[in-house]
Parts: sequence; structure tokens; C-alpha cells
Amino acid sequence: MINPMRIIQTKNLWALGLYLVLVHHSFTAEPTINPFLEKHCIACHEGANKKGGLDLTLLKVDLNNSDNFSSWVKIHDRIQSGEMPPKNKPRPSETDKAAYTKSLKESLLKTEQAKLAGAGRTGIRRLTRTEYENTIRDLFDMPGIALQGLLPADGSAHGFDKNSDALDISHVNLSKYVEAANLALDLATATRPNPPIVQKRRISLANSGGFVAHIILNGDGVLLKNKKPDPDFPPAAEQSHLDEGAHERMGSFRNGSSVGLFRHEDESVSPYFIEHVTIYPGLYRVRTSLWSYQWDKGQVLPSRGTEAARLSVVQLTGDGRGGQHPSYVLGYYNAPSLESKEHELTTWLNHNEIIGFNTASLAPVANYSRKGRAMAFTGPGIACDWLDIEGPLHSVWPPKSHQTLYGDLLITEFKQAEQKEVRPPQRKAIRQLGAGKNRPDLVTGLWTVKSENPLKDADRLLASFLPKAFRRPVSDDVRKEYVARVEERLKAGDCFETAMRWAYRAALCSPDFLYHVEPDNKLDDYALASRLSYFFWNSMPDSQLLELASKGKLKSKEALRVEVDRLLKDSRSQRFIEDFLGQWLKLRQIAANDPDRGLYPEANPYLQDSMVAETRAYFRELIDKNLDASHLVKSDFVMINEKLAKHYGISGVTGAEIRKVPLPKDCPRGGFLTQAAILKVTANGTTTSPVPRGAFVLERILGERPDPPPPNTPAVEPDVQGATTIREQLAKHRADSSCASCHAKFDPPGFALESFDVIGGFRTRYRSIGEGDKPERGPIDPFINIKFKLGQPVDPSGVMLGDKQFKDIQELQAILAANPERLLKNLLEQFAVYSTGRPIAFSDRDQIANLVEATMKNKAGVRTLLQEFVQSEMFQTR
Amino acid sequence: MTISNALMKTAMTMGFLLVALNVHAEETKTKVRLFGVFSPDREKDLRKITDEWTDIKLESVDFKHAEGVFVFDADKLFPKAKPEQIITNLDNKLRTSSNSTFGIKPLSTVAKDKLVRIEIGVVGLDCKACSFAAYNIVAGVDGVEQATCSFKDGLITALIDPAKTQKSVLEDTLKKRNVTLKQDQVTK
Repeated sequence: MINPMRIIQTKNLWALGLYLVLVHHSFTAEPTINPFLEKHCIACHEGANKKGGLDLTLLKVDLNNSDNFSSWVKIHDRIQSGEMPPKNKPRPSETDKAAYTKSLKESLLKTEQAKLAGAGRTGIRRLTRTEYENTIRDLFDMPGIALQGLLPADGSAHGFDKNSDALDISHVNLSKYVEAANLALDLATATRPNPPIVQKRRISLANSGGFVAHIILNGDGVLLKNKKPDPDFPPAAEQSHLDEGAHERMGSFRNGSSVGLFRHEDESVSPYFIEHVTIYPGLYRVRTSLWSYQWDKGQVLPSRGTEAARLSVVQLTGDGRGGQHPSYVLGYYNAPSLESKEHELTTWLNHNEIIGFNTASLAPVANYSRKGRAMAFTGPGIACDWLDIEGPLHSVWPPKSHQTLYGDLLITEFKQAEQKEVRPPQRKAIRQLGAGKNRPDLVTGLWTVKSENPLKDADRLLASFLPKAFRRPVSDDVRKEYVARVEERLKAGDCFETAMRWAYRAALCSPDFLYHVEPDNKLDDYALASRLSYFFWNSMPDSQLLELASKGKLKSKEALRVEVDRLLKDSRSQRFIEDFLGQWLKLRQIAANDPDRGLYPEANPYLQDSMVAETRAYFRELIDKNLDASHLVKSDFVMINEKLAKHYGISGVTGAEIRKVPLPKDCPRGGFLTQAAILKVTANGTTTSPVPRGAFVLERILGERPDPPPPNTPAVEPDVQGATTIREQLAKHRADSSCASCHAKFDPPGFALESFDVIGGFRTRYRSIGEGDKPERGPIDPFINIKFKLGQPVDPSGVMLGDKQFKDIQELQAILAANPERLLKNLLEQFAVYSTGRPIAFSDRDQIANLVEATMKNKAGVRTLLQEFVQSEMFQTR
Repeated sequence: MTISNALMKTAMTMGFLLVALNVHAEETKTKVRLFGVFSPDREKDLRKITDEWTDIKLESVDFKHAEGVFVFDADKLFPKAKPEQIITNLDNKLRTSSNSTFGIKPLSTVAKDKLVRIEIGVVGLDCKACSFAAYNIVAGVDGVEQATCSFKDGLITALIDPAKTQKSVLEDTLKKRNVTLKQDQVTK
């Protein structure tokens, strides 16, 4: 409690004023104002001399005001951590400090708990567009339907897009939801009595209508037979081949030859298998045969090792030529030396999607206009024998998506003459873009579901559909509203299918579907099922979760433990890995900038995709093996493929697949911080700076959000000419005392990360486009032209707050790893914000500390942390 | 084998040649100019295609004159076609079957002794499709009655109607289409 007499005795008018403010304003809790602040804080935080912009004499103690509350939390934290008072000032005794922070904490807790009592802490929130797409995919068993692109981008709050603050809704969202629902219902509905005929096509990479035939006429590739040059198609030399059309007509590319390429995808070359342009969205089996070779002016020799080719999916748009960039990558596939290797995958393809190809592991080479073309070229190549594509594949007909909507109703021909008063169902014409040789089937007649008893069937179908779509039981009243809609449309003359579509579309655009519906405070079983599934699958709960919920068994500790393990084991948990890391570690920003080609000529899409794959695989390993929190910053292994191994200077790794590799002694890798993906997302493509990287470590790994820079503070721009180092520039910047205190926190880890360039390569000297020495080639491909120079040396040493010194990244890793509680606490907070859709509150702190302690006590790791968290009140409360 | 002058004249005027010989009563022999026979091995390619046909037989190929004789029952094969449409129909069928690498034209109306043979030296890849491409260029010039091309031999030949075209025109056309000519043989 506040003691007015004591304040008066201090003869400090500011404190008296503060007291008057306190007693004359209503608030639910009061921080204890005692001489502590006056003795240790006021001198620096008062009037014109206020440090860090904080004037304690003006700070109101109305804790119901969220800004004030935040300020007092910060004061609490700074004092408790020992950061304040600063080192050069008299230190308070531990007893005084504890007493003051305890008192302040109680006031803060009391205020917050009173504020939060009776209401759910998680705001009403809609599905993110990723959640929306995944939910539709799972609801209809259409695992690749693309809907995200239709919806407006979500915002982000507290680091994630799942927070209600980031999930506003506008008329644009609403109209797009209608559009997306229509598309989903179009694709889900079977409109023919039999499935589309499965078409199987073998396609040469030099297929007609594609780019490849053209470039191999000019020496960027060759035709090969029996691992030798095709005798009927000599490699382009001083003369190139004439007239692509003449070669196509003569069958040069249809004689079973393999296509060997030296060139990879670039601004003017897009190697596509364009003879298949998807007409019917669905699952397709894709097989291809790949190998590699060393080309030596007309001779095919063993290659330098296993090369990697990329298969991707490209959405044709507009004129059907594609957008120069793949919509998404299917994978990277090994091409062994002179040995054809077959690869097979089954993937969903959407309308007008095609398969793209890239010689991913090759350096940029263009013989096209070079003297002597292929016959003057010596270098690696990747050959594609063929690509088979087969589909659409349906295990049942009508497909599950249709059965979800129309159950077992028969699909019959709609004959207008027999029902003149009924409007037929609408069908869209199939429009195939590009040069596909696959053709739509001939379907005669108009086919649709038939109901002998429409209202009864509508009731039955909606009784099955609505609980799935809404992820919880649906009352009879609600269902009847939807049935009434069907009845209304039937009376208006629509056929049964169209009438049902109205109801289904309404359901998919309703708040029951679009929003996470959770009761205030304690979650019920169904809300818990959804919270679990949207956490670990980023999608709706499956039938097992809903069944457990319906039986009231989900909340038992054992059932929850089993379910978490099951959800994590399921392939859908990869969505959690990707979505969570995309935001927590900013992997979504991996392509936010292209590395400068002069400084980082070795950067390419294969390296970038490998970086992301590494971080995802590493996180998966932490969960699967339940590795402890120190692994967030330090490990004795990495998850890499050949591309990354070369990038990291690790030998003995062959092939495109990511695998666990022990770290060689003294290798400066391990943990998230030294992963190339993290180092890339914290750089700008040209230069690195300890400031953003240090801030990333502080905020994302250690859980301490740095204050934003004061207004009008210019950014420190690194010097790419190589004259001065960033450390020298920052030293000047830190001379300003207003900058020093914050930079003292985040610069040090940033300094250690200066050992890594913008693409995560290890360095002891900065690359420069101006001054410097000629570099050694190192792991850079011999076909890459090196223009950069080696400039100033890197100094990765620093001193962490608390006087812990380090000389390099490994010593920093050791410092950070020595405090696993802090790492675990931050990770738990990230999980909590991500899964509950709300920020961490002051009153969550004790619970977080308990969960961390429980995990630490068992010497357990990330998986245990997830298990403990899911069992917690924090997870199970709205 | 004799053909009356009157019939010859009529057939030539109609743009095709009908040869009634000792075959089935319904079948006729038709001699035509062949497009796409730019080297001797093209006869094999042509036969590979026509061997697949059940209703038309390729009886002979005269590479030297780029002519061939087909045997078929026109009434059965093209029942609604007028006589002057038969060669067009046959050409369509062959083009469809050969991906337009072969074609048929009526026999030339220019007397052979009026045609001039020219040779053009070329440099390029020893590739059949490239030869076809260069042949296409030359054969497409008005006044070229017949042509051959072989990059292996580095030679394009053409029988031209001097009233309509000349060697330099062919050379210019080839150059414009990126065919490299042997410089020492180019018409000055």
C-alpha cells in the first residue's frame, strides 16, 4: 500500500504529485511507490534528463491504461533482471529489489486478472487464409486445391498471423470467400457418371511448344541416345540447327532421345513439360528418369558427381505461357553419373498447371550465342530421359469430395424434357491454355445428383456436412435454417444440386465455418479439438479428434498425450512446421531479396530452397528426438544436402535429399543461428548488419523484444566499397548515449553472426565490390564468374550484457546454450502465441515458468515442452 | 505402256496425271510430283509412311525427278471428290500422315529442257532435319520445280524455271533464314 507520510518525508514534490494522482484516480491495483524508485531511478528518469525517453515523474499509475501497464511491466522487468539501475550507478540491495518487484508484480497481476476475469482472452478470430485453404482441402479431401491466392493477405500481430488483431475482415474478404466457396464446390462436385479417363503420356523435355527444343538447337543442350550424342542430331557447333518447326515435323524430339541440358532456368528460358496441361484437377502420378554427365566438346563422360534437377508446378495464366516462375517446387531429384535414376511422386495438379524442370545444381551457362556452341563447351549436364504423367487418379467415384456433399445419391442424366419447370445445374466450359496434347473427355448429356425426396435428403446431407464443416455439433435449429434455404431454392425452380449448393455455399461463408468458435474461458472438448488441430495441422480436426471430443475423452491427460503424438506423427504436421517457422524464424521472407549477383554469384534457387528445407528438417528433428533447448542455438549435427554441405564446407555428402550429418570438429555451425536460411532472412541481400541480426536473436531466440529506435535515427548502412567495417560504423553510432543502451544488447550477438555473409556462407573477410584482394574460388562452381574482392577482416568478438565475452560464434553459442531455461521459455511463448491466437500476458508468466521448470526437470526437450503446454490451462483456455 | 496424247493433255490441264494400266478395274495409277524427297534416303521414309496405308500403294519413286506413282481406287477413296480435287486430297492425306514432311503436287507443266539446274554450297550440321529445313526454304521459292539438300555434302541443288527465279534469289532467301553459304561459291 502507498504510505503518504513516507512520501511527504522524502520532500519530493514529484512523488507527492504522483500520490495525488494515484489517490484521485480509480484503478484496480496500485504499484508500491517507495523510496526505491526515488533512490535508484528518478535521478536519470526525470524532466529534461530523462533517459530512454522515460520520465517517471510523468508516468501515471493508472494500470487500467494499457500503455501505462506496459511501461510498469517494463520497469518491473528491467529492475528484476538487474539491467537497471545501470552498472555505473549504486546497486540496490537484493532485499530491496525483491521487495519492490514483488509488490509491483502483485499490483500488475491484480489489475490484469481483474481485467481479464469473465472474458475470453483470445479475441474472436477468423481462419487465416492458410487455415482456410487447409480446412477446405481436408474437408473435401482435395489435398492440393489452391485457394490462398484468391484471398486477401492476412496481417500479423505479436509475430504471427493467427492473432485476432491481425485478422480483420472486410467486404473484400467476404466477396472472396464467396468466390473461394464456389470454386471449392465446383471442384468437389462430380458432374459425370464415370471418372475422367486416366491419360498417361510420356513427354520429352524437348516437347513441342516448350523452350527446350529451341535452346538445344543452339547448343544449350543436346540430344542423347544410349548415353552418347544422338547420331541423328549432332550437337550445335559453329552452325546451330535450323528451324525448330522443321525438326519437330521430322520427329527429332520424338525419337526416344534423352535431353541433356547445360543451361538452367533463367529470365529467358523456362523448361516446361508443356504437352500436359492439366484439365481435370486431381491427383497425378509423375515419374521421370534422370542422370548426369560431363560433356566434353561432343563426348559424354562420367559427371563430377550426382547432380540435382528440380521438378516444379507452374500455373499457366493469360496467354498460356506461364509466369517464368514455378508456383511451387515438387522437389529436387538426384541425377547420378551416367546412370538413369527413376523418381516417382503423386501430386495434386490444378486446372492449367504444368510440370516445370530445372537443372538445379548447374551453374548458369549459356552456349546459345557462344562461338562453337556445344562443340566448344566442356562442362556438366543433366539429362532427362522422359517424364511420364498419369491421371487424374481416382480411387473411388464419385470422389470423396462429392460424397461429402451428396452422400450416396445417384448421378443421373438431367433431362429437361422430363422436368420442364426445373432449372438445370450450371456447368462451366473447360478452357485449356497452352500447348497441351491431353484433351478433355467427351461427355454427352448433363449429369447431376438425383433425389427422390429432396427435403429429406437435404436434411440428411446437411446433418452430416455441417458438423464437419463447423468442427462441432450443430443444433437442429441451425440445420433447419440451411434446409429452409434448400427448400426456398427448390421452390424457386432450381434443381436439387443447385439448391444444395446454395446451402453449402452459405455454410462455407458463415461465421461458423470462417471463425474459430470458442467458449469464454475454459475450452469445451470440441474447441480443444480444434485448437489442437489448428496448432499441429493448421487445419480442422479429423474424425478421431471429433469422436474423442464427442465422448468427452479428449481432456484426459493420457488421451491428450496420445493425440499430440498422433498429430505430430501425421504428415499434416508438416503444415505446422512450415507455418510456424515461416513466422517465428521469418522463413516466409526467404525470397524477400535476391542476393547481389556481383557479391554473391553462387546464390541460386536450389541453395535457397535447401536453406529452408534445412531449417524445417532441423526443427522436425528437435521435435521427433525431443532434443533439449540448447539445440536451438548449438548442436553437433546439421540437417543438410550436398548443396548445403558444399556451402558449409562439409565433405562427404552426396545428393539432394536432406539428411542428418555430424558436424566436423571446429565447424562453426549447429543450431538455428548458423543456418543459412536464418542468416539470409536477417540480411538485405547485399550486406549484413549486426543490428537486425542481433535484434533477431534477442527477439526470436531469447524472447526479448528490443525497443524501436528513437524517431529520426538514421539507419547504419554498411559500406560495400570495403573501406570501413560495420563494427567501426556502429562504434561511432554507439558513442551517442541514447543509442548505446539498446545497442549494447543486440549488437553483440549480431557481431558474432558477422562471421556469416548474406547467404549464410562463413567468412573471415567481407566481400567487396571496391577495394580488396582477389579471393580463392573455394566451393564456388568453376563456371561462376567471380567479380568480388576480399575486403576488411571480420571481427566476430563481443561482450554480452553481463560481461560475458566471446571471441567468435562458437563461444557465443556456448554462452546462449548455457541458459536453456531462457531459450525454452521463449520457445514456449512462441508456441503459445501461435496456438492460442493471443499475446502473452503478464499473468501468464508464472504458468510459463512452471511449464519450463517441469520440462527442465525431466531433462526433456521440445516435444515434452509441447506436451506440457497442451496440458496447461493456458492452452486450454480461451 | 502407252498413254494417248489426248489423255495426257487433258490430265496435265487438270493438274494431275491419270494412268490407266493393267490393274484392277477400279484402281488407277497416278503419277505425281513429290515434295520432301530432298535426299535418296527419303524414299525409305516415304515408304515407311505409305506402307501403313491399306488403300493406297506407293508403286515407285523416281528420286532423280522427285516423282512417284500411287495406285488407288479414287472412287472408293475420295467418293465425293471431283477429278481435280483428287491430288489435293492425296496431298492432305500424305501431309497428315507425315507431319507435313512430305507432300504431293501435280506434275510440272514446265518442259524439263527449260529447267536450269543450279548448285549452292552450304555449311551446316549433318542433320536430316536441318537439310529438310533448308530444302523447305528453297522448295518454297516460286520457280523452283525440284530441289535436294545435303549438309553432309554441303550442297543444295535446284531445278529452277529461269523465267521465274534465279540462283541469287535462292541464295538471298537462304541467308535470310540463317543458312550459311560457302562464301567462295556465292554468286557475286
